[in-house]
Amino acid sequence: MIFVGSARVGFWARLLAAFSYGLPVVLIVAPLVSFLAYSFFHMEGGQIVTDVSLVNYKRFFTDTIFIPILFKTCLLCMAVALLAVLIGFPVAFLLSNLKGRRRYFMLLMVLVPLLMSYIIKIYAIRSILGGSGFLNRFLLWTGVIDAPLTFFVFNLNAVLLTLTILLIPFAILPIFLSLERIPRSLLEASSDLGASASQTFLRIVLPLTLPGIVTAATFVFVLAIGDFLTPQMVGGQSGFTFGRIVYSQFGAAFNWPFGAALAIILALVVIVMIALGSRLEDRGT
Amino acid sequence: MRLPAIALGLLWAVTVIVFLLLYVPLAIPILSSFFTIAHGEVQWNDPSLGSYAVLAGNAGILEAVTNTLIVGSSATLLASACGTLLALHYCGGKSLAREAMQFAVYLPFLMPPIITGLSLLIFFRETGIARSLLTVIAAHTVFVLALTYRTIVVRLQSIGPEMIEASTDLGASTWQTFIHIILPILSSTLIGAGVLSFALSFDETMITLLVTGTDSTLPIRLWAMMRLGFTPDINALVAIILALTTLICIVAVRLLLPAELEQDG
Repeated sequence: MIFVGSARVGFWARLLAAFSYGLPVVLIVAPLVSFLAYSFFHMEGGQIVTDVSLVNYKRFFTDTIFIPILFKTCLLCMAVALLAVLIGFPVAFLLSNLKGRRRYFMLLMVLVPLLMSYIIKIYAIRSILGGSGFLNRFLLWTGVIDAPLTFFVFNLNAVLLTLTILLIPFAILPIFLSLERIPRSLLEASSDLGASASQTFLRIVLPLTLPGIVTAATFVFVLAIGDFLTPQMVGGQSGFTFGRIVYSQFGAAFNWPFGAALAIILALVVIVMIALGSRLEDRGT
Repeated sequence: MRLPAIALGLLWAVTVIVFLLLYVPLAIPILSSFFTIAHGEVQWNDPSLGSYAVLAGNAGILEAVTNTLIVGSSATLLASACGTLLALHYCGGKSLAREAMQFAVYLPFLMPPIITGLSLLIFFRETGIARSLLTVIAAHTVFVLALTYRTIVVRLQSIGPEMIEASTDLGASTWQTFIHIILPILSSTLIGAGVLSFALSFDETMITLLVTGTDSTLPIRLWAMMRLGFTPDINALVAIILALTTLICIVAVRLLLPAELEQDG
């Protein structure tokens, strides 16, 4: 749009075009292509062999540990998404009912924790959840329990709780935005026509925020399934997730081609989830 | 919509719980930073500012903070410049190639960070580029580019072609139009996107972990320390970072929120 009406600008326009295609091709497309290529290679005696084969994918489908872990990880991340939406919705709803400056102040308060170091938050949550952590000591001190609880100590439950706490803001924001977009006149019309608050909520507010809820759930799911640090920190021995397995192929296990193949499978799961989410959103509107 | 008192009470209850969940993990290190820590336990009856003094002498952490600031500001500047150029090209017409370019730019933001990080790791290895702070800057630029590009495109599309046509009709060169018309219109967008990019880069952990060499940014340093347990000065660092971010947020809200919101509150 900037190059109009002048013949001399042809050169600069072509230069801009070259840069605009060159940058993403070099720094985004080429890395993804080499990544995809690696998934068809394999390791032999500590060396990467560049013969194209499906051996990594075959291992994923035939070995009995990978598919169950992927399935378990998907369930875990769906639970995180569901939990985050369930507790995020009331907060978003309350915020959207506040007036003026208070509404945006509260929204900001929801978002401020996102700016804080993610590692520090995991560490703090870890010190709360541990066997002799703050939570257990508090419950013992109040006399609610006699012995330290163990169901949230360094296992999948701990991963579930930690991820939910870390990702709640990502659930609140899209729901808040879709609640805010509902015209006041619709709510007034509904109550003028004799609907009770709960009827207005169920028949007007909830259907109109469905796209926001779906966006929130997709967001949280994608962020949760890609996270390999949280499970590593609070998951302990039993809290093995798919992301951790992928990451370990690039560290201790040192099998880059297999890790690349596993990551491609993870990417496919994410693409399917995003596609499902946008289908649901389209149907909601 | 007028809510019944019970519903309102329940909503507030859930909100209070959520705020506790969000803020207790932040409060613990901050509170601890003002007390002495002995044998791994916080001595709640012995307030002290000792951890701040220790922090001032911790060269490793201060170097990590410097690295983080270098990476954050470089990536923000690069992504803002590249984002502007790509956005100008995208808005220059309609074509399948432009849509493909836009899709590629969004990919690192849509895909899980482990995918972006791994693909860059493999790419750097294949092209023989040694991992260093430069590869971290490149990775962060690619990561935040989607955000700067998107905000600039939205702003450019809201201008419409009339303004630029008028400028050209009045005899301005392309360069003059860019400097005197487009850049001033984009300035607030660039600042907003810049602040957000910097914040994202400041805390980026997963991509960085994969593409970094021996130089570590703050999150990587913290990640390495976490296995051994944190020293008291980390608490002090957390307190300082939170104080600064809160201050920046308050200033940003004061500056950016439209005046009419102030009145009906």
